[in-house]
Amino acid sequence: MKLPITLKVNGMQQDVLIEPWWTLVRVLREELNLTGVKVGCETGDCGVCTVLVDGEAVKSCLMLAVKADGKEVLTIEGLADDNGDLHPIQQAFVAHYAVQCGFCTSGMILTAKALLDENPIPSEEEIKLAMSGNLCRCTGYVRIVEAIRSVANGK
Amino acid sequence: MVIDTVVNKPIMDTEANTVVGKPVNDIEIIRKVQGAVTYTDDIELPGMLYGKILRTRYPHAKILNIDVSKAKQLPGVKAVITGRDIPNRRLGILIWDKPALAVDKVRFIGDEVAAVAAVDLETAEEACGLIQIGYEELPAVFDPEEAMKPEAPLIHEDMENYEKLSYARPVLNTNISSKFQLRQGDIDDGFKQSDYVFEDELVIPSVHTAPMEPHICVARVDVSGSITVWSSTQSPYEIRDAIATYLGLPFHKVRIVVPFLGGGFGGKFFIKGELIATLLAQVAKQPVKLVFSREETTVGGGVRHSLNMKIKSGVTKDGKIVVRHCIEIWNTGAYADAGPRVMLRAMQAGGGAYRIPNIQVDALDVYTNNPTAVAYRGFGANQPTWAVETHMDIIAGKLGIDPLKFRMKNALEEGGITPTGQVIHACGLTDCLSVLEEKGRWSELKQTKKIGKGVGISCFHKATNTPTSGAAFVKMNQDGSVEVVVSITDMGQGTTTVLAQIVAQELTISVEKVNVAVPDTQTTPYYTGTTGSRGAFVLGNAVKKAAEAARKQLLEVASELFEIDVDKLDVKDGKVLVKGEPDKTMPFSALPISGGKFVNGIGRPVVGAGYFSSGSKGTVPNFVDMQTPRSSLFWMYGAHLAEVEVDIETGKVKVTRILAVHNVGKALNPLLLDGQVEGGIMMAMGEGLYEAIITDKGVTRNDSFRDYKLTTFTEVPKIERVFIEVPHRDSVFGAIGMGEAVVLGVSAAIGNAVYNAVGARIMELPITAEKVLKALEENARVGTST
Repeated sequence: MKLPITLKVNGMQQDVLIEPWWTLVRVLREELNLTGVKVGCETGDCGVCTVLVDGEAVKSCLMLAVKADGKEVLTIEGLADDNGDLHPIQQAFVAHYAVQCGFCTSGMILTAKALLDENPIPSEEEIKLAMSGNLCRCTGYVRIVEAIRSVANGK
Repeated sequence: MVIDTVVNKPIMDTEANTVVGKPVNDIEIIRKVQGAVTYTDDIELPGMLYGKILRTRYPHAKILNIDVSKAKQLPGVKAVITGRDIPNRRLGILIWDKPALAVDKVRFIGDEVAAVAAVDLETAEEACGLIQIGYEELPAVFDPEEAMKPEAPLIHEDMENYEKLSYARPVLNTNISSKFQLRQGDIDDGFKQSDYVFEDELVIPSVHTAPMEPHICVARVDVSGSITVWSSTQSPYEIRDAIATYLGLPFHKVRIVVPFLGGGFGGKFFIKGELIATLLAQVAKQPVKLVFSREETTVGGGVRHSLNMKIKSGVTKDGKIVVRHCIEIWNTGAYADAGPRVMLRAMQAGGGAYRIPNIQVDALDVYTNNPTAVAYRGFGANQPTWAVETHMDIIAGKLGIDPLKFRMKNALEEGGITPTGQVIHACGLTDCLSVLEEKGRWSELKQTKKIGKGVGISCFHKATNTPTSGAAFVKMNQDGSVEVVVSITDMGQGTTTVLAQIVAQELTISVEKVNVAVPDTQTTPYYTGTTGSRGAFVLGNAVKKAAEAARKQLLEVASELFEIDVDKLDVKDGKVLVKGEPDKTMPFSALPISGGKFVNGIGRPVVGAGYFSSGSKGTVPNFVDMQTPRSSLFWMYGAHLAEVEVDIETGKVKVTRILAVHNVGKALNPLLLDGQVEGGIMMAMGEGLYEAIITDKGVTRNDSFRDYKLTTFTEVPKIERVFIEVPHRDSVFGAIGMGEAVVLGVSAAIGNAVYNAVGARIMELPITAEKVLKALEENARVGTST
């Protein structure tokens, strides 16, 4: 017996019928076709599935979809503005070449957004600590830190 | 020429004619930051089912019976297959030793015994749980040295009848999947000539590539039996050939498409779930998506070979290496996969990047009941480099010679010969070592050493996959934009961008006007596979020739149209111009090049083709002494320096600085090279400090990211790099690959720095706090210190 839930995803209300064991990432990817959200481990260890739920960075493989009922969800697809212009964090990831394969990128950018929304000028140490739940095997993290710092410093 | 460390600011577009050598950003980065590139898991087809593989929990057991009746009856199940329902053929790269699904017996915990396709994953998993298998346990063996004993259980009894390539050298009726012996000079003579002899034994455990994206594929079989598989693979052509051969189909009936990869690092080379998904789709008559869980990606996808290496070296008083004898035992796990080829590359690298007149390497690749060992970034060079470079430091210490001078004195040089007898070209190793002194401040750091702080170095060389070949098409569209049609997989390494740069430069257009196709064996031409850091070398040559051909065609169209000799025409800024008459130009988009468009009855499509082949002459070893005049298309040379801080209370090692110096021949795109350096160093730091696949009687204890720890944001040291440019005569603009080489020397440099810091010599990776502390306690007990 499926349950109805209502989410506000990237500013749009979505009514979805779900099985009680479905995770948020499953609903986002398979019911709402938001494939910018990735799946890497399903144990909350890699962070590629990170989305914002009511502004907080959440590993969507660990959150049951029912828990997101009535909440606001932001995915990478909702980050650019209405004109299609990239969000400043996305622009910074481009400007600093903070991307290689791109598989961790959505999660990285959303985790960075949650950090900067709460702490607009974090120190380098604060950036590294806040981001340390997101793994990347390609970039070595160097440019991701630089990208986030540049947004924090407004350049 | 030396390119010093500078901050490369990415550029999105460049002036025509100046694009090669510039820090052009990844051509797909705008889509990547929007989560908008398609990975295999994003593929969804109408009627698509979900597959699940049932893996055994026994390390070594006979299959007595399999009962799938309950699984088949479960509502929603569309296909159940076992090894007895499918063609009884085997898969392999060098030794065809692996059935698609186990038939008579299983050989490691995780071996595939059955597979299910169902309407959703939960149903497929439930059905797997309903399959009943009767096993008879067999004695299992996990340690390669145990596996070589005469009384050890045989893992592949039927080796004699397996199909094999000449590169595989199994010892029949043993667990040795391949035995190689390298001989150069005479080691007995060498030891007689030596003033001192040093001997060490070093151990490198299995590790895992751990890409963020697991192994994923989607298979579809149409009514005519034609097969399409979308897969996160690095080797579409290998997989096409394997599936077609297994099923007895002509190659054109099997199509492999490779969307973007979420990282590869070698682990996505060769077949993973593609054949099983295809077999399920054939039975179900519906498409099947097969996703390996993280744990399956680790255990079922394969790990890196562990290595036990004994090294014995004879040297003169003044530090000249006269002789080296290495005995290498590689653990290949249950199936050979790329094992013999991994070991072949290790053989070619011999006893390190040194001129040693008398050298012998005896290497064995041994089957055990552990997870299969597969390709890993560095492919055969990682493990011996760590062992040799640790051994080199120990010798330098005992001789009282500076480790850098010791390496410099023995380093391979241009015109010398490699351990397998290849004349060295495009080397630059001594240049790399010099940078460790100058920019690395080696001597200064050693002289001003503080308590708990240390510095260490390493150097290395690596061969690439040879023989090899690849082809490319360059198609020009009517608007003057270009499609580059090649089979390079984009896993973040940046080769597609480099190929776009080369084509843009050749055609005098901007990089933004170039699109690089995703690999599709139906349309993109042959390439050996995205391995061995050779994409820019092999396909760089191919796309350059293809672009030259397209350029020639453009001029021919213009010549006919203008009624002017081709010789009097040239291209510039995306236009054809008449030499000496700057006003007479025509943009490519105005030329009749689509085929459908004609001007004054003139017109034709512009499609250039090009290829590069290493040829195979001189590339095949003789297997008596492994001497091979052209063992590698090119060699990668480099040197690393590490600075560390060691907490003597806890043994914890903190890496504070890494300097990576590489001969890149020509930096086609220094920005992308920086990315390779930064990522490679962090990956290799993981190998050096934390990573080891832990197995206990064949059970992998750390198959998830919860237990298998990768480096994170908090450990990033100061990373510096210097690129040396000693060009290669056969490559495009002289460029040599380096994406693999960057992972080679890091763990040895760290280990040597730890010794320099606190006198703790760790002989088995990783260099964990526990091992350092234990070594410190041992030092205190026997009263040694630095």
